[in-house]
Amino acid sequence: MLKSESGPLTAPLRPGGGLERWAERHLRVLMLAPTVLILLGLTIFPSIYMFYAAVHKISPNPDVPWDFVGPGNFVRLLSDQQFHVALLNTVVFTVSAVTAEFLLGLGLALLLDKYIRRMTFLKTVLMIPMMLPPIAVAITWKIIYEPQFGVLNEIMYRLGLPLQAWAGDVDLAMFSIIVADVWQWTPFIFLLMLAGLASLPVEPYEAAELDGASSWRQFWDLTVPFLKPVIAIALLLRVMDALRLFDLVFILTGGGPADRTKVLSLYIYQVAYRFADVGYAAAISLFVLFVTIVLSTWFMKRMRLAE
Amino acid sequence: MLRRLFFTLAIATSVLALNGAAWADITILVPSSSEGDGLRAAAADYSKLKGTKVEIVQAPYANVFEQGANAGATKSGVFDIILMDDPWIPFFAENGHLEDLTAYFKSAGMEGPDSDFLSKSLAICRNPYNTGPYVCLPYVGNAQMFFYDAAKYKEAGVDAPKTWDDVLKAGKALTDSGGGRYFGYVFRGGQGNPVVADFMPIFWSYGGDLFNADRTKVTIDTPEGAAAMKTFMALRDISPKGVESYNANEVGTALAAGAAASSINWPNWVATFEDPSQSKMVGKISYSTIPAGTKPGSSEIGHWTMGIMAASKNKQEAFDFTVWATSAEQIKISATRGNPPVRTSVFTDPELTSQEKFRHYPVLMEAIQASTPRPRHPKWPEIENAFGIELSKAVAGTSTPEEALKNAQDAVSRITNIY
Repeated sequence: MLKSESGPLTAPLRPGGGLERWAERHLRVLMLAPTVLILLGLTIFPSIYMFYAAVHKISPNPDVPWDFVGPGNFVRLLSDQQFHVALLNTVVFTVSAVTAEFLLGLGLALLLDKYIRRMTFLKTVLMIPMMLPPIAVAITWKIIYEPQFGVLNEIMYRLGLPLQAWAGDVDLAMFSIIVADVWQWTPFIFLLMLAGLASLPVEPYEAAELDGASSWRQFWDLTVPFLKPVIAIALLLRVMDALRLFDLVFILTGGGPADRTKVLSLYIYQVAYRFADVGYAAAISLFVLFVTIVLSTWFMKRMRLAE
Repeated sequence: MLRRLFFTLAIATSVLALNGAAWADITILVPSSSEGDGLRAAAADYSKLKGTKVEIVQAPYANVFEQGANAGATKSGVFDIILMDDPWIPFFAENGHLEDLTAYFKSAGMEGPDSDFLSKSLAICRNPYNTGPYVCLPYVGNAQMFFYDAAKYKEAGVDAPKTWDDVLKAGKALTDSGGGRYFGYVFRGGQGNPVVADFMPIFWSYGGDLFNADRTKVTIDTPEGAAAMKTFMALRDISPKGVESYNANEVGTALAAGAAASSINWPNWVATFEDPSQSKMVGKISYSTIPAGTKPGSSEIGHWTMGIMAASKNKQEAFDFTVWATSAEQIKISATRGNPPVRTSVFTDPELTSQEKFRHYPVLMEAIQASTPRPRHPKWPEIENAFGIELSKAVAGTSTPEEALKNAQDAVSRITNIY
């Protein structure tokens, strides 16, 4: 039980020793302490450490002192061609995958909301991909895309269509990764949109019907504005997640062929763990963090405007 | 209530401390593959025999390097022994993560490892290569071999391929007649380590290498490089579609499924090829050393070696285990568990060589003795990545072979500061 905010503790609430009284007095602090400690340990300290690492050249040899390079690691980003490739691939992936997921998710939600509301089983089935661990999804798609023994090429062969090197073809590799990501995350957008549609007010639509507005006008002038906050949240979450893409690329292509699917997360992983260049990896990570914060802020602003 | 909480916490802490005291005497980091499984079984035997508790930590291939590097960089001492792929040795040794074994051999009354080990297997465990002190002992004798379906090759007019021209001749005929479902060769073209591992033996077969002998020049963009690249591209052209993303597993699976007639691969695939539950090709695959180009063929060596971490708190126990695990008796047991040996006595043991499943031993021993290590450089992972990107571009057709060689030359020069 909490004591009052300002009033003095005139009598202990329960009998006990000094320690117990002290605990009662500082209960709020004690209750918050674990969370604060966990936040400090897992978020604040690593963040400060990352900033510190980003301005140093760090040798994998523990006996070599860290060399302060100031903005050197950030300047290096400007001339690092692999970083430029990874950045471009990340942008291509994020824009393509999130756009496809949004359009498909919204379309499915509108379809199910309007025509097949009672089919809860179908809704449950549609949810399954997003519940799977990303690594399982990546392995599943690796089997599907396998050029010689994969399901997709077997279907192509039986249909008399030319076989494709889905994850191994420079022109198809990024597309293949986008398809796998869309398969997994469209249900997430669908779920949010469905919840948004279920919360729409009925009266404006009745008025629009009376005024003879077409379905398209109702969608554009009523549904989209009402859904704007939900759309903003869905896009924000998906964009943030797409910027962190790792599992699918790592398993399906390893960044290849010809660097066509190397994304920023994979590059950060390589720099930090394969090349043991932790300072530079921290600088790239900070860049990604900066981009994510800028995008999030912009989205949040849009969301508030929509409200 | 609070008193009870503190009491519970105190008990929990005591239990944890007691458990800590009873933790392993030696902890070993190994890959989660047949090599790691072999050492896990050996560790269990050692625990029973000596009463020393041996903890095995298994991780995927790339994670073994990462966890080892992290443990070394933080001097955590969490691992006493690391089972290393041999190209990692310069990185671990030159960054102070590995223990020099000289003093341990001396205190055990030994000059060093005995002469039963293959000389090439021992050479990689010294840093610098073949001249410096021992920083590990060899455990698994990997070196690439050439795998081929002798019957199919014969149909295509090649009895036993001796050169890459033979491989191309048979391979092209088989691919042309395969109707898009059967191929004369299967290529390992995945970006990074896979494509580099497939290119290096061909590069060496044409007299090429990444650096000149005294390492004062990067020598990728050379006539030897161009000749190797020409053969490499020709092999890609007779391989199945999609090999641009293939690693050793996909290559091995294609051969075991009877979908391709030949390839370069690691010896641990022999067990799969000869296992009826995993292979359609039991008894049908022939093994040979790497074919010749303009020079004799040479495999890429890929031994798994046991090194003692410099931050280990149990170095003597770790050394004792390492010597025991790499003894002739244990290497023979390891061989029966599927790990290629590193000792002459095991390679030539009639008890093993009389068995069908070890019929590749003479070839493998020859392959190890004719093998070449990947360039010994502490920045090898970065070099391999850069070279792998350019090779991948050539394989995928986004750059010409000439551009790939030139760009690889520039990239490796930048990484190593050797121009």
